[in-house]
Amino acid sequence: MKKVNRRSFFSTTLKATAAASLPLSFSTNLPEDTRSKPNLFAGKPGVIDTNVNLFDWPFRKLKYGETDALLAKLSKHRVEKAWAGSFEALFHKDINGVNERLAKECKQKGKGMLLPFGTVNLAWPDWEEDLRRCDEVYKMPGVRIYPIYQTFDPSHPDFEKLVAQVEKRKMILQIVGDMDDSRNHHPIVLTRGADMNSLIDIIKKYPKVKIQMLYWTHKITGNLLERFIKETNVVFDTSRIEGSGAVGRLIEGNPWNGKKGIPLAAERVLFGSHAPYFPVEASFLKLMESPLTAEQANGILQGNANNFMNSSL
Amino acid sequence: MNNFAIDPHLYGLPDIEELKAFRIWDTHYHGFLTGTEPIKQHQEMLFYVKRMGLERIISVDIGGTLSDPLDPKPHDAAQLDILNNDPDWISGIIPIDPGFPDESLAKMKKWIAKGPCVGIKYVGGNKLGVTCDADQNDKIIRYAAELGAVIYIHTWIKVGGEPRWPGGGNLDGESTPMDVATLAKRFPDVPLICGHAGGDWELAARAIRPYENVLFEFSGADPHSGSVDYAVDIVGVDRIVWGGHGPSRSFSTEMAKVLDASLSQKERMKVFGENYRKIAKPIFASKGINITV
Repeated sequence: MKKVNRRSFFSTTLKATAAASLPLSFSTNLPEDTRSKPNLFAGKPGVIDTNVNLFDWPFRKLKYGETDALLAKLSKHRVEKAWAGSFEALFHKDINGVNERLAKECKQKGKGMLLPFGTVNLAWPDWEEDLRRCDEVYKMPGVRIYPIYQTFDPSHPDFEKLVAQVEKRKMILQIVGDMDDSRNHHPIVLTRGADMNSLIDIIKKYPKVKIQMLYWTHKITGNLLERFIKETNVVFDTSRIEGSGAVGRLIEGNPWNGKKGIPLAAERVLFGSHAPYFPVEASFLKLMESPLTAEQANGILQGNANNFMNSSL
Repeated sequence: MNNFAIDPHLYGLPDIEELKAFRIWDTHYHGFLTGTEPIKQHQEMLFYVKRMGLERIISVDIGGTLSDPLDPKPHDAAQLDILNNDPDWISGIIPIDPGFPDESLAKMKKWIAKGPCVGIKYVGGNKLGVTCDADQNDKIIRYAAELGAVIYIHTWIKVGGEPRWPGGGNLDGESTPMDVATLAKRFPDVPLICGHAGGDWELAARAIRPYENVLFEFSGADPHSGSVDYAVDIVGVDRIVWGGHGPSRSFSTEMAKVLDASLSQKERMKVFGENYRKIAKPIFASKGINITV
């Protein structure tokens, strides 16, 4: 796979933009109700939130944990579409049940806003059938995996197969680095590590695979982040980009700590709130705290996710 | 208006004038905290301080470093100049070490009694492993109370140990909210700030709940929706204070905790600064700085 620089990324995504016809009209194999939904904020920039989860967080009742409450909260902040995973994916063994409930919830309660991102667990048998159903039965645009809870990481023997199949199916693969701060986990929970180094070599074999990292900043830092930036097309959510003005400084290649001089193209940053676990306000405020251009901010809020969804890298 | 790339009102957020109207005091400013060039980093941080409309910053890293809080460092003189030159919006509290109470008292005399600083900070761990509840803290607390100094105690409840338990992962000398509660019992009339909401706000709020002299500060941890609502329920809105913790945390993260909460404008103003100003007003006055609570 060739190196990706800012210019070539622009070129790829701009082509995708032309095909995408902003605002929001997803061209992937989405359920009918999400495909045909009119733009709720015509003429004004709506938001695509690429990182929300539905159902119960296993350890706490969340303020906006009910789907209706979450949708109302997201709407208040002009979120027009939200890519929704399921908290059930962390511990459940009946993965098809998890995905079926997620698809049903998005369809019945999603008001056209929620796009279901089911899951597969490579540690459980028959994951390929789960992936097939996500694509063919539930018409999901992608799958979200939670390696530190699901007890596998890119070194798993089936991981490359997952990447290959996701690429073949033209789906999105979202990889969650963390869900919360491990320092205040419930003491009976000991999550696994997840080494993302081997992911790069796998990605290089599948240049058209679309991968997004969510809450990624503990798992991808320093030299590894540099490799992701230079050697892959992976995109990143905003939920745990942390530090004063950190979104802008990441784009500039000027982080407070860590390696400087490695800018991340703004087009590779996608709005992701990690709601309802995190306050949705946090990711919006980050776009105020950093001195971004309007073009950069609007891309992060919507255009980049739209391009990513519709592009064939 | 503002110079933000997005229109805050379109996204349900306060604009710059509304942020300023909250009268936000960053009571946990880490602009000087770096292993390289603290003064340079502070100057760089001021861009974001102003951009987000903060009214005052209170550095928690004045004199020495967190790992060597009692050892003078080359940047001390520059910090002193900054505090003396900009008293209207930059203040400082000093890290102390309860393992060395007499040396801590000497630092307090230099920087608070005879200097511009307004309080002390217990940092997250220390060389001798002394937490804030140990008896040898009493002389430090008594002197701080005499000066009217703000007392900030870093607390965390880190899971760890074998078997794992909340607090089992704490560093030597790193206090927990339960330690603060023990100290608060001995000094019921002295305000104490339980920092970082203990890292685990659900347990921490319950630990300090009965001690009305203990305030609760949320900075330096991931933003959890509903956390401030919970704390308001447990300890009341008059006991919560706000910190920014930049540059390692964004003002966005810390402000979001408060904006997420179902609070009135008046209640948000209490959290963002008023509650802290109430306990700090006397020491500011003693330094000739009259603040409006």
